Amino acid sequence: MFDNNVFIEGSCKNVEENGKIIGIEMQTHITYYRGIPLSMVNYMDVEVDGKKIPREDLRIAVDEFDWFTLKEMETVTTIKWEYGTPATVRVLMDGGLTPGEHDVKLTVCTRTAYIPIPIEGVMTRKVTIH
Amino acid sequence: MGIKTSVSLYSLQYQYLLGKMNLDEIIGFVKSIGADGIELLPDQMLHGTPTPSEETYEMWDKIIAKHKIGLACDDIFLNTNLYLNRTLTKRECVDLMKQEILMAHRLGFKAMRLVSFIPAWILAPCLETAEKYDVSMNIEIHGGLGFDCPKTEEYINEMMRLDSPYVGIVPDTSLFCRRAPKIVTEYCDTMFGLNPDLVKYVDEVFASGTDFFAISEKIGLEMDPKLKSLIKCPGDEFYARNLNGYENRPLSCMDGLEKYIKHFHFKLYRMEEDGTECAINFREVLEYLHKFGYEGYVSTEYEGNRWILPGNEIPEKEQVSAHQKHIQGIIKELEA
Repeated sequence: MFDNNVFIEGSCKNVEENGKIIGIEMQTHITYYRGIPLSMVNYMDVEVDGKKIPREDLRIAVDEFDWFTLKEMETVTTIKWEYGTPATVRVLMDGGLTPGEHDVKLTVCTRTAYIPIPIEGVMTRKVTIH
Repeated sequence: MGIKTSVSLYSLQYQYLLGKMNLDEIIGFVKSIGADGIELLPDQMLHGTPTPSEETYEMWDKIIAKHKIGLACDDIFLNTNLYLNRTLTKRECVDLMKQEILMAHRLGFKAMRLVSFIPAWILAPCLETAEKYDVSMNIEIHGGLGFDCPKTEEYINEMMRLDSPYVGIVPDTSLFCRRAPKIVTEYCDTMFGLNPDLVKYVDEVFASGTDFFAISEKIGLEMDPKLKSLIKCPGDEFYARNLNGYENRPLSCMDGLEKYIKHFHFKLYRMEEDGTECAINFREVLEYLHKFGYEGYVSTEYEGNRWILPGNEIPEKEQVSAHQKHIQGIIKELEA
């Protein structure tokens, strides 16, 4: 239902910190029609070229300031992921992606109190790294 | 006075999400198509709710002063599953609801729509705050989640017991689908390839004056056995299960509840080229409301956005405009 909200096209790139490529990041909208606190994000999942990234290698921020692991996000009730504000999902992987085309799949899952099943959105994009 | 029209900004959510229109432009658009008011989902288009910053309130005040538009309804939801390992306690829920009432008051709303399944027990402890801030609490009555659902029935019983002008209901036109929404059938057929016999049977059931929620309730089974027997693939199953949200009730299901109707949701799935809606007869609903002298808002809620085939633009503005034209025309005629 919310697949099209996931993984903003053209947002995936290598991330450099202190002169070193530490991984990749991409942006995504929320899989819901309202903003919710980060504690209500059930999970996110990234696959790169068919290989699942370990959950502990993901970092998420909605303001590019406070970064959380998925486990840490479970207790983040005061920071909201606002509707219309993309979150950044960072994948820690030394050296990032090699130049060329890659398949990157992002899954975002939120929970609400009145829809009995969690709301999952999935999007795979062909990403070109320059 | 008479019946007033509004637009739930839910209808224009992708304009906002994709950055095509900001809140100011959205409200300006609603005003430009002749609607009297807006319904806002604060946690959709305002930041930091239910305790937004003063800057956010100032921005809101400026937009409302600029467009001089009516404030029909504040549409809220209680995040009772804020924590992964437990549900909010009653006291936490009451505190949260009181924050919502205060925010609604500060934003200028007199009515709140509470999304289905907000617990009935919250009404009594919040009533004093609702009265003090002059904001009514009204549960949505939605197809498949409304009448005959234990949680909603519990709410209605509590509403009757309290019998306060600050507790009411918001019926939704998904209760009055005279056929399965064509856009949903077409979407599922294109995406999954539906069994034609299933589609035929669904049409026959609606044409006979009932629906699948009613059948399930009547026979006490999760799904009508005949419907189940026609499911041949996962796409059929998805389509069949989704049908529970479209009821085909008589309008008389609201008889006796008239005084509790504080707001009305005019859900639509798709306006057709002939100016009518693909499942709902809005004329009959408006005639019913007009007959008992309803003077509140009826709010366009475009939900066809969920059923647009991938790669196509979601025609939110066009659909909202066509629907407002349709209902404004009928109201004008009825009140002439």
